[in-house]
Amino acid sequence: MRHYFNDLPKTALTAGYWLFVAYLLLPLTLMMSMSFKDANFIAFPIQDWTLRWYGVVLQDRQFLDAVAYSAFIAFATTICATVIGVWIALVVANEGIWGRAAIFALACLPAVVPGLINAISMRIFIRVIDLPTGTAAIILAHTVHAVPFVVIMALTRLRSMPRNLTDAARDLGADPFIAFVRVTIPYLMPALLGGMIFCVLTSIDDFVRTFFLGGYKPTLPMLIFAKVQGGMSPQINAMATIVLIATALIGLYAEYLTRRARK
Amino acid sequence: MAESIMTPSRKTSPASAPRYSGWIGRLAGNPIYAGTIGRIANSRAVRLTILLGVPLVWIAALHIGPIYQMLRISLLENYPAAADGQNAYTLSNYRLFFEEPLYFIPFIRTLIFAAVVTLCTLLIVYPVAYYVAKVVKPKNRVRALLLLLIPFWAGELIRTFSVIMLLANRGAVNVLLREIGLIDRPIPMLYTYFSLSFGVVYLIALYMLLPLYSAIEKIPPQLIHAADDLGAGPWQRFRRVILPLSRDGIVSGCSLVYLTTVGVFAAPLLLGGPETVIFPEVIATLFHGSNDKWPEGAAFSIIMLVVSLSTVGLFMKIVGGRSVRLM
Repeated sequence: MRHYFNDLPKTALTAGYWLFVAYLLLPLTLMMSMSFKDANFIAFPIQDWTLRWYGVVLQDRQFLDAVAYSAFIAFATTICATVIGVWIALVVANEGIWGRAAIFALACLPAVVPGLINAISMRIFIRVIDLPTGTAAIILAHTVHAVPFVVIMALTRLRSMPRNLTDAARDLGADPFIAFVRVTIPYLMPALLGGMIFCVLTSIDDFVRTFFLGGYKPTLPMLIFAKVQGGMSPQINAMATIVLIATALIGLYAEYLTRRARK
Repeated sequence: MAESIMTPSRKTSPASAPRYSGWIGRLAGNPIYAGTIGRIANSRAVRLTILLGVPLVWIAALHIGPIYQMLRISLLENYPAAADGQNAYTLSNYRLFFEEPLYFIPFIRTLIFAAVVTLCTLLIVYPVAYYVAKVVKPKNRVRALLLLLIPFWAGELIRTFSVIMLLANRGAVNVLLREIGLIDRPIPMLYTYFSLSFGVVYLIALYMLLPLYSAIEKIPPQLIHAADDLGAGPWQRFRRVILPLSRDGIVSGCSLVYLTTVGVFAAPLLLGGPETVIFPEVIATLFHGSNDKWPEGAAFSIIMLVVSLSTVGLFMKIVGGRSVRLM
């Protein structure tokens, strides 16, 4: 009897978990399946199936341009955010520096400010410094958004680094710069790779910052947004499916890297 | 101390340069390197300046700068300055917020909406996090967690778009209900509070899941067994042991979800309707279009920032989590 009562919550929890998995996966599955519908409009049920929408998307100049543009922005963002983030992490990890806690708190500030406010403050900022909206402004905003996450990832790794590793390098005659390049950077590498992929994903995903800071050239989310607002056809679904699969693969790889880094 | 005995050569004769292998050796042996980076790296004062310089400038310029500029412009009468160049400081932009229900009501609506969404997300996600952290066997745990992470690698916009597939008038739910004969006419679900909150929970569940999972996973199973041995039933075990020990996760998760929901932007544009206008949309219209009003928009953003951050601060103080972890 007692045993029976103990099992009841467990069964309920298992059911709850699978219901939640269904809740998470169902909309995406529906979205992907719609990309195979052989009709010019989006509606269930799907009677005829086709692959033609993928052909349309892969020949769509606008889509390919947006992919290249988003990839470029993500690449630039990642480089900038990694350099700045690691730099800040080195300062915060350095025990000789006064006010480290305050620097860390301020470095994390963009991560706690709601996304829209962040975007608007950047929009105001670039107008004050006379930077036009467009590529540079987007990269700047994406970098500001990504830096806190790189700082946290790099810092976690730096804190687990035995201090005597760099001391040993110095004792063996390396100057601080060479010790940094040959010891600290390789030690940080797994966390950095995870952090970099995270930067790529947040940059490709970002909608609100690009919405306020973008020029006439659409990034991927802007393109999808414009298509969703201006009449829908399964072409959007094919587009979104391609993007979804690509980003999911990148995400899986990042997950694998960060798990390996923790071991 | 040991350092000074073992490596006297480093300070006295930098000329006896160490030998490295490979490209770094060629770099270190290069006189140009020794004269520039090498010299900089060996001087503590210069090293510290370079180490501190870039981060401090970056943080001051780009983490604090934009918010400072937003605050400054929110106090201006006109931005850009009027034709005669006069630009007085004023509080009227803030006063407008309290006088005009058109602004005030969406703001209250947003706060309530975010609070309700946060509570719902907590109630939905807590059992799932508990299941993965405590019920699933350790060797399957990563797989169980990964299954939940997959949807979050799809972008914000793609997930929002997917919700439309489910809830539209000719979406999956309505078509299914009509097929089995429960309804004759589609239930309008899109562009309502239901679709908006459905979509927002869908977007942010991960921010609740990860902090909760890591907090619950840390609870020692012995404590739960001990409570069981002492005669506590499932409810009592949860109420007296598991819930208090997962408090940190609840506080971090709720704070993250609340702050994200307050600033959510794509979802209300695509899933909301005329009755669900929330504050982010109101602010956005002040920055776009021909009759943009930047000072008002900046003032409203400042109000939203202050109120949302202090709500979270108050919540943390009351519930008493130690710190918010971002990841």
